Amino acid sequence: MCSLLMHFISIGIYLFRSKMSALRLISNRTSQQALSNSDYTWEYEYYEYGPVSFEGLKAHKYSIVIGFWVGLAVFVIFMFFVLTLLTKTGAPHQENTESSEKRFRMNSFVADFGRPLESERVFSRQIAEESRSLFHFCINEVEHLDKAQQSQKGPDLESNTHFQEVSRSGGTLEEDLNCLTKFNIPNFVNTEQNSSLGEDDLLISKPPRVLESKVAMQSSHRILD
Amino acid sequence: MSTEIPSNLIKHAGQTSIPSLENITDFSLNITDCNQVVVPEEVFFTVAAAGILENLLVLVAVIRNKNLHLPMYFFICSLAISDMLGSLYKTLENIFIILCKMGYLTRRGDFEKKLDDAMDSMFILSLLGSIFSLLAIAADRYITIFYALRYHNIMTVRRALVILAIIWTFCAGSSIAIALFSHEIATVIPFTILFPLMMFFILCLYIHMFLLARSHAKKIASLPTGAVHQRTNMKGAITLTIFLGVFLCCWAPFVLHILLARFCPHNPYCACYMSIFHVNGTLIMCNAIIDPMIFAFRSPELRSTFKKMFCCARHNWNW
Repeated sequence: MCSLLMHFISIGIYLFRSKMSALRLISNRTSQQALSNSDYTWEYEYYEYGPVSFEGLKAHKYSIVIGFWVGLAVFVIFMFFVLTLLTKTGAPHQENTESSEKRFRMNSFVADFGRPLESERVFSRQIAEESRSLFHFCINEVEHLDKAQQSQKGPDLESNTHFQEVSRSGGTLEEDLNCLTKFNIPNFVNTEQNSSLGEDDLLISKPPRVLESKVAMQSSHRILD
Repeated sequence: MSTEIPSNLIKHAGQTSIPSLENITDFSLNITDCNQVVVPEEVFFTVAAAGILENLLVLVAVIRNKNLHLPMYFFICSLAISDMLGSLYKTLENIFIILCKMGYLTRRGDFEKKLDDAMDSMFILSLLGSIFSLLAIAADRYITIFYALRYHNIMTVRRALVILAIIWTFCAGSSIAIALFSHEIATVIPFTILFPLMMFFILCLYIHMFLLARSHAKKIASLPTGAVHQRTNMKGAITLTIFLGVFLCCWAPFVLHILLARFCPHNPYCACYMSIFHVNGTLIMCNAIIDPMIFAFRSPELRSTFKKMFCCARHNWNW
């Protein structure tokens, strides 16, 4: 009974829709007399779905459907394999020298630092500003370590090039890390950890070097995981 | 006014030509070999209702929680609105048809024609809004990662709202223009080129972000915790594939339908593809259900807001 009703409604839908199309066709013909002949012919033929003949088909009649979905599936799987291959093979960054590796760490930390400030607001803006000013202090301290290449710009932390200069010119990585430990990273990261990540809270017990790298990874992985 | 693309939206293969308006009761259905694949109305309504409710939930959660008044969540809201519009369109269309079947609305009325045109332009608005919202989300994430320190200056709340206003104005204007001038090929070609272009651009943005994440993981791989990075990189690859795979699988069938209906309506192969139009429409509504899961519900803050909302509701209900 229900299936009959649904079938009836479906046929009713077909009838209704074809009637709406017919209405539009008539209104098109009356209102757009100035159209060229080819337009008129094409429009008229557009509504003529009747003369589709299904004889003499070389391939299966649903070949476009099957071909489209198979192509789509192949493309998605290909994309997935390309992405996993990117994870396994060497990266362009792997050939970097140690100095640019340090620069990358600095940039990574900077990238990560920017992320929690905007994303979750699990701590108040006050603390965030305080952390940022501490970080400014830290970067300034690193900069002072190498007086020969001290930048003439002020502590303009809004540009990555500044960081590149700092890290290229800066002291050893240990000095950076000493500065960062002064920056009270474990509490900072701990707050963020409790609020956001469930799986990767390996940071509290790890040495600062691992800590920094883990923190650097969080930002981009928070988006992608 | 001619509305061929929208009327194409509701056109099925297998219809005969209507000889004249007066003989409307006389025409017969010429059932060809490719019958229209019918999706039951219950499935339609269930999927549409689920999509609307879920996206409404996301909107309410973002509005209620002050912590979520950030550009990132505004773009997610924009995506939720466009998904809601798409599901709403399908629901209204089916209600409209059922009302006409029951006779509450006349079939030749001017009001019904205008209503139909308005609903079709709503659907195109939803499609364009979806594409541009996804683009905005990808661009926002890109700026977050690559311009992290300047992010607060680049993407202020005011700028995000301005960007959203521009996007929606453009989408509304384009949808009305497409609905009005759909009989010209000049509107179809840009419309169908926009789709792969946007997808390609979003793919590039995400791949660049993915490369950065992988570089980070490579750094960590040199440390004693090497086992972790394989898993996280695999997760990143899976996440990216899901983002783009869902977008493709839900929207590409419909876009192909529009192309085929424009360029080869009489080809039997094309007619057979166009007979599965209802399935394509249902896929678009499924996209409205899946999108909040892969964008909104990934945020822990949003999830905790939901829990609070439901716990409060349950608490009040228990009282």
